[in-house]
Amino acid sequence: MADSVEQDTSDQIEDTQKGKFLTFCMGNEFYGIEIKYVTEIIGFQPITEIPEMPEYIKGIINLRGKIIPVMDVRLRFRKPFREYNDRTCIVVIDISEVAVGLIVDSISEVITIPDEEIVAPPSMTKEGNRYIKGIGKVGSDVKLLLDSDKLLNETDLESLSDL
Amino acid sequence: MKKLLIIDDAAFMRLAIRNMLLNYEIEISGEAADGAIGVEMYKQLRPDVVTMDITMPKMSGLEALKAIKAFDPQAKVIMVSAMGQERIVKEAIISGAKTFIVKPFKEEHLYQTICKVLGI
Amino acid sequence: MTLSQKGVNELSNPYVNEPMLDLYIFESMQLLEQMELLILSNEKSSSYASEAINEIFRIMHTIKGSSAMMLYNNISTLAHSLEDLFFVLREDEPRNVDYSELSDLVLEGLDFIKVEIHKIRNGDEADGDATGLIESLRVFHATIKGSDFKVEDQNLADGAVSHENRTPEKQQYYISKVRTETTSLRNTFQATLRFEQDCGGMENIRAIVVLNDLADLMEDYYHLPEDLENEDSARIISEQGFTLFLKTDRSLEEIHKVLIETIYLKDLQLTNVENSELFNDLHQEREILLEDSSVKLPAFSSRDQVPNNYEEKEFHSGANQPSIISVSVAKLDQLMDLVGEMVIAEAMVTQNPDLKGLELNNFEKAARQLRKITSELQDTVMSVRMVPLTGTFQKMNRTLRDMCKKLNKEVQLQLIGQETEVDKNIIEHISDPLMHLIRNSIDHGIEMPSEREIKGKSRLGTITLEAKNAGGDVLIIISDDGEGFNKDRILAKAREKGLIQGSEEEITDKEIYNLVFLPGFSTNEKVTEFSGRGVGMDVVVKNIEAVGGGLAADSVPGKGTTITLKIPLTLAIIDGMNIKVGDSRYTIPTTAIKESFRPKITEVIVDPDNNEMMMVRGQCFPILRLHDIYHVKTDVTHFTEGIIIMVEQDNKTLCLFADELIGQQQVVVKALPEYIQNMKKVRGLAGCTLLGDGSISLILDVGGLIGYRQATKV
Repeated sequence: MADSVEQDTSDQIEDTQKGKFLTFCMGNEFYGIEIKYVTEIIGFQPITEIPEMPEYIKGIINLRGKIIPVMDVRLRFRKPFREYNDRTCIVVIDISEVAVGLIVDSISEVITIPDEEIVAPPSMTKEGNRYIKGIGKVGSDVKLLLDSDKLLNETDLESLSDL
Repeated sequence: MKKLLIIDDAAFMRLAIRNMLLNYEIEISGEAADGAIGVEMYKQLRPDVVTMDITMPKMSGLEALKAIKAFDPQAKVIMVSAMGQERIVKEAIISGAKTFIVKPFKEEHLYQTICKVLGI
Repeated sequence: MTLSQKGVNELSNPYVNEPMLDLYIFESMQLLEQMELLILSNEKSSSYASEAINEIFRIMHTIKGSSAMMLYNNISTLAHSLEDLFFVLREDEPRNVDYSELSDLVLEGLDFIKVEIHKIRNGDEADGDATGLIESLRVFHATIKGSDFKVEDQNLADGAVSHENRTPEKQQYYISKVRTETTSLRNTFQATLRFEQDCGGMENIRAIVVLNDLADLMEDYYHLPEDLENEDSARIISEQGFTLFLKTDRSLEEIHKVLIETIYLKDLQLTNVENSELFNDLHQEREILLEDSSVKLPAFSSRDQVPNNYEEKEFHSGANQPSIISVSVAKLDQLMDLVGEMVIAEAMVTQNPDLKGLELNNFEKAARQLRKITSELQDTVMSVRMVPLTGTFQKMNRTLRDMCKKLNKEVQLQLIGQETEVDKNIIEHISDPLMHLIRNSIDHGIEMPSEREIKGKSRLGTITLEAKNAGGDVLIIISDDGEGFNKDRILAKAREKGLIQGSEEEITDKEIYNLVFLPGFSTNEKVTEFSGRGVGMDVVVKNIEAVGGGLAADSVPGKGTTITLKIPLTLAIIDGMNIKVGDSRYTIPTTAIKESFRPKITEVIVDPDNNEMMMVRGQCFPILRLHDIYHVKTDVTHFTEGIIIMVEQDNKTLCLFADELIGQQQVVVKALPEYIQNMKKVRGLAGCTLLGDGSISLILDVGGLIGYRQATKV
């Protein structure tokens, strides 16, 4: 009994988050990340570099006593580095208890994209595409939906072998 | 508020009993992890009712029951037993335990048992 | 420990909450470990000591009860089977017990329960099926039960529970007063009580309780079933109810009032029986019964009836008993973090730059007091986290037993210094490596008994596990008297894997033995069930390095192998020197620092390979530029502008070059995020810490840096 009630409420939470994406922009493109992974958004702050890391791992930050790594999504996508400014944000995501901060150019908004408006990404060879799991259509705009799991966990062989 | 002393070597059972009685007007005045300590605590705390585990190291529940009854013939002791302890429960009843309860038991039964023993 | 909400909610008991589940897990695991030790220590002798049997019986009884309360029926049922088995062992003292088989069965049961509890801990369902095992236990039970056992009654003098009293004499439990005067009995009632199904059995005793309740109100009575002693009576009452005829001068209402309060009462019928003929008939029978059995009065009240041993027993009053609570490690970690932050905050206040040049006598006094308390607080918190290695060491007995049984080897385990204390977090990291090393020793080190005899050794191999303190470290030494490492095989393997640089002639034996710790090295030509399972040597190394420790191996061919683990006492707080390189901050454990100075250019020597070295008092030490190895941008690249910090570990000295020293303070060691650790193990980094201003400093691992320098040298 208790179990099924609990199940219901967690279903509800899931429901309210379903189809919702936090969108941010990088260059001319808009990206979306499922809201359920996002724990908070913070302004840019000083990063402590860790030596010998791939270029896109900028280092670690102190998030209220918790040390979390930060990743520059631009560099992860092999786009040119852009100086951080006051629009630069760190989106903290939590995927299966691994917290990581994503550095993005700027935050846009939270939008709902229903399943039927999401199509599979074209199998192009363009760098960064492999971290995209779908393309969401919002009116005439297009949002590239990130595969957070791959973004975090897929080893970028090239960048590691650079070292 | 009526005072209860829990005598049980298993911390889990002590917590279980404590939790079950959270919402009732019963104050847990003490917890003892062994019969011998339980007897001493009984003397000091003079609780209204005792729940007494049977199987404990050092001094068993039955011995502790007897010691408590020797100290205070009016002591109200509920034996906490489990399946397979028929004879010992019987001996406990003869030795003056008010009643007994069998693990696993539910909150309402524990409370009823205590109320009954206390005459409330 | 995180428990999934689901795991808790699955239980319909509303009183079950998370701390209870935690406690259930904690206590059960503790009991199981205790039991495992008992089995292992008793197995060696051909029978179990009676205290051990008693203790195991008690443990299974407790686990049965708690598991039933938590509705883990599979665990409860299995524990019940084991309890029954040990009951027979205790009461009947059967002679034909195959103790080896018994140990196997009990350990299997133990493992089953452990696995289930692990599932519960992980928030999974405890869905294991123990029916096969219970059946085996039943067969075993039947075997020993069928044997001749002592018929004489065993009085358990050691204060243990007499679980089932085998006294043949019929016990009298009637509490009713046998009154001399027969008052006018106005009423005769017939009461039939039924108990609820979930009352937990023992309906016959419930009936006795009913008789007790009515004792003062009844003048005379008779009941059905007649014999409440009989085991069957519980079943009969459960099916047909308990019927009581009683004579009383009380009213129906008064009797009803008492009976209706019976606990677990499902149904009560109470009627006035006008015709007391039936009663009289039954009553007569009972009088006959009473005549031939002496009425044993309950030992209710007199002090004389206290068991004799009661007075002699030593009592610990509740107040004197050290009360122990269990605290989750997460909370301790949190406390430790807070104390760490406080240590930093204290430093920030008492060494505040605003105070510079001020004469503040009272402030200084107060600051000293604060510093003293902070440091005491820190010591106390540290001591709380320290736990003896006993549990970890003794776990190895089980590993040893299983291995020996499988491999038909004879090995004894010698434990020395198990009381040595280590930080709780570290203990968790060394258990698996130790187990692996012990397995390795038995599998590859200790020879078969016959082979040992040929070599003139005793058939029984010995593995010694020793722990001792050595400064800020703890050494754990695992040594065996087996055949030792095969130098040539290690060398060949290392060559094959390309692990040897430089010329082989220069390698010392010790260096050869330590090749086995290199990643990618494994001498396991034959992957056996044990050593091949789970982790290899490099995982052992990883585990030990994760806690900032190290390993060393030494071996004497034919005589045995010794592996030494060096682990820090604690991970949590270290005295550190903070240094600056460019914008980066690093912290070096003060214990590793020999001295620091601003070098003169004349002291620096550059060899033909461009290796920089420092001449100090006639000795030459390699220099490592931190900005160089970690690619940090800094303006300080000339030795004369920066500072040299001489560090030392394992008798190797290195000169680190940094921009400047910031200051010395105690820091709370935090691990680098797992994400980073998984990416790459950065050489020379032990972790990180938060400085007073909230910025992060990287803690340097001196041993790693020395290795770095050596690696680059080759």
